[in-house]
Amino acid sequence: MAHFLYLTNSRLVSMATRGKRIAARREFAVSGEGVAEFDAYLATLRTEPVHLLTDLAEEDFRLDTIPHVGSRDRDAILARKLTQMFRNTPFRYAVVQGREPEGRRDDRVLYTAITNPEVLRPWLDVIERLNVPLGGIYSAAVFSSAMLQALDLLFPHALLVTFTPGGAMRQTYFRDQEIKFSRLTPIDPEEGQSLGTLISEETTRTWQYLDSLRHFGEHDRLEVCVMLHAGDRLLVQPSLRDFAQIQHHILDMEGVGAKLGIKPAPLGSTAEEVFVHLFLARPGRNHFASPQMRRFDTLRRARITLRRTAVAVFAACLAWTGWNMDRALATTDQDLRVTRELGMLNQEYDRVTRSMPSFGVGGSTMRDSVAFYNSAIRGFPRVTDFAVALSRVLDRHPEVQLGQLAWLATDDPKATPAIAKLDLKEPPPVRAVTAEAAPARPAQPEAFGGGRYEIALVAGTVHVANNDFRGALADVNRLADELSALPGTRADVVESPLDTASNVQIQGRHSEREPQTMEPRFVLRVVRDHGAAP
Amino acid sequence: MSPVFTAEGWKALRGAWLVLALAVAAGAVFVYGSHWYGLKEKRDSIAAGRSLEEARARLDRARRERDNLNESADVFRMLVARGLLEREHRLDLVEKVNALRSRHQLFSLDYEIAPQRALPLAGGRVFPSVDVLASRVKLRARALHEGDVLAFIDELSRSRQGFYPVDRCTLRRIAGPADELVAHVEADCTLEWITLRDKAGRHD
Repeated sequence: MAHFLYLTNSRLVSMATRGKRIAARREFAVSGEGVAEFDAYLATLRTEPVHLLTDLAEEDFRLDTIPHVGSRDRDAILARKLTQMFRNTPFRYAVVQGREPEGRRDDRVLYTAITNPEVLRPWLDVIERLNVPLGGIYSAAVFSSAMLQALDLLFPHALLVTFTPGGAMRQTYFRDQEIKFSRLTPIDPEEGQSLGTLISEETTRTWQYLDSLRHFGEHDRLEVCVMLHAGDRLLVQPSLRDFAQIQHHILDMEGVGAKLGIKPAPLGSTAEEVFVHLFLARPGRNHFASPQMRRFDTLRRARITLRRTAVAVFAACLAWTGWNMDRALATTDQDLRVTRELGMLNQEYDRVTRSMPSFGVGGSTMRDSVAFYNSAIRGFPRVTDFAVALSRVLDRHPEVQLGQLAWLATDDPKATPAIAKLDLKEPPPVRAVTAEAAPARPAQPEAFGGGRYEIALVAGTVHVANNDFRGALADVNRLADELSALPGTRADVVESPLDTASNVQIQGRHSEREPQTMEPRFVLRVVRDHGAAP
Repeated sequence: MSPVFTAEGWKALRGAWLVLALAVAAGAVFVYGSHWYGLKEKRDSIAAGRSLEEARARLDRARRERDNLNESADVFRMLVARGLLEREHRLDLVEKVNALRSRHQLFSLDYEIAPQRALPLAGGRVFPSVDVLASRVKLRARALHEGDVLAFIDELSRSRQGFYPVDRCTLRRIAGPADELVAHVEADCTLEWITLRDKAGRHD
């Protein structure tokens, strides 16, 4: 919602808008009584920003050119020029409209000011006292250049004629859409003079003035655009005569309203509602109000910006929060599924646990007991099994007499059981003399294993003809080979009937009478590996 | 200077600034809170996933244990029947050895039963639920024939009560006239009399 004030020399028109429509309209006389009424009225609209459009006879326009310089220097030049030209008023404004086509190509500048600030003062005092935010003070004449563009009045020389509340006619001259001159004429027809005649005479007078200022060339024509309500058109149009230098165009208010989207169209020929709608569609820049005058509006806009920023920040944070929560809740859903699955797994675990066989002991006791049995006792070898297997082989060797069997079950493949020396009744005539054998390495009795290895020393004698050592060696080797043929078994001759190694001393002792046979001693080391056995 | 940053401006916009500060603070709290909640949920999710994996592993172990126990039930029943989980009954062993000596007609039988001890297992293996105990038994027997000695040892080790794995044995022939009714074979054997003790103390 916004509040527009249209100030003329005799009336102040208040128009409160809602959206793109004028929601309330009220007029005040330019007088002390009118100011008082306005004071009371404005108090009800004090929160709405005010835009003040001026359409005053005291507005002066001057053209100038300045060197084309940077924006900061240009602003300084314009400020200085404004001060020089309009020393007695703070309501002054300069607009750069283009550049000269030749020479230094200076900037073309229009200076304008409300030369009598007192016409504004009472109204601004009310606005200031009520702390009403003032959006700006605008020259209706300067702002009307926007109307040319909006209504496609793009003539090289255009004179826009509008009517103001309170009975005045504004003529604004545009050259190539640049405002060059404007003047306000009271509508005060002489006796017998119609409105149309008055307009025609006034526009002709304006043409003459502009022509005297050399605004027109030989073939230039001034297009006079008169904005009128349909009700006034019949009164005006017959009096408007076109010439080679002046061409009239009636801008019907209905047509203007349709083109600018004003609904409903203004009911009279005055242009203030058209300006308001045009401003709503194309907000103009402030012309006359100082920053000090506009401070409440500046604060209002800052407040709005801060609130919008707060809302935006909060909304962004909420969106971020929502994103975080969405991810967290997705995780929560997953956790719920996990919890359900966990519950099912625990139930299944309880069911499995209950279904376990029990003998009054814990499952681990049962498991350990069986594990110990399976690993240490179940496959533990028996000496009787070994003896039976040995006997079966010895049955095929009647020449061999078993004297001693030392057996042990161990996990150490290098262990060797102890064995006692055999005493021979009749030693053979030839024998090897060896150093005392190193003591056997007994298995460590402390550690009880699964008995992977059966290790045995088999000591015996072989019955052969006297001095048939070759036969005795062959018999013993054959016995060892047959034992090695047993599954997982390896038999080595530890003590041969006659050790024929080169590093061993051999003694022979033959007497005159020797027996027909001899029984030399041998020792076999037999290892049976149950880990290797199929 | 913009009127926004004058004293009057600060005063006029105090509420708006406060609203902005509150919005920023509240937004920050919401964002941080949701971020913290998200992290917590993520941690919980990881923990829940770990718990789930542990539960699955525990269930798998339980199923394997149940299957193992089902497979081992018959074995364990036999072990219980043979008194593996009972304490030693030494008098029973003495009577059994005497009975076997008579049955297998041993000429002489000397034996020693050492005090019971914790049996060290190969590789330092231990069982979490049971202690393995053993008493070392040494036997020295003389017989007419090695078959008698072997049968005695075999029957002792196959006893239906207890486990007596023989881990070393030496058989040697005794010199003497073969046709006389005297001991011709001497045996020195050593065995472990093994029992188990439940660490939970549920069995003797």
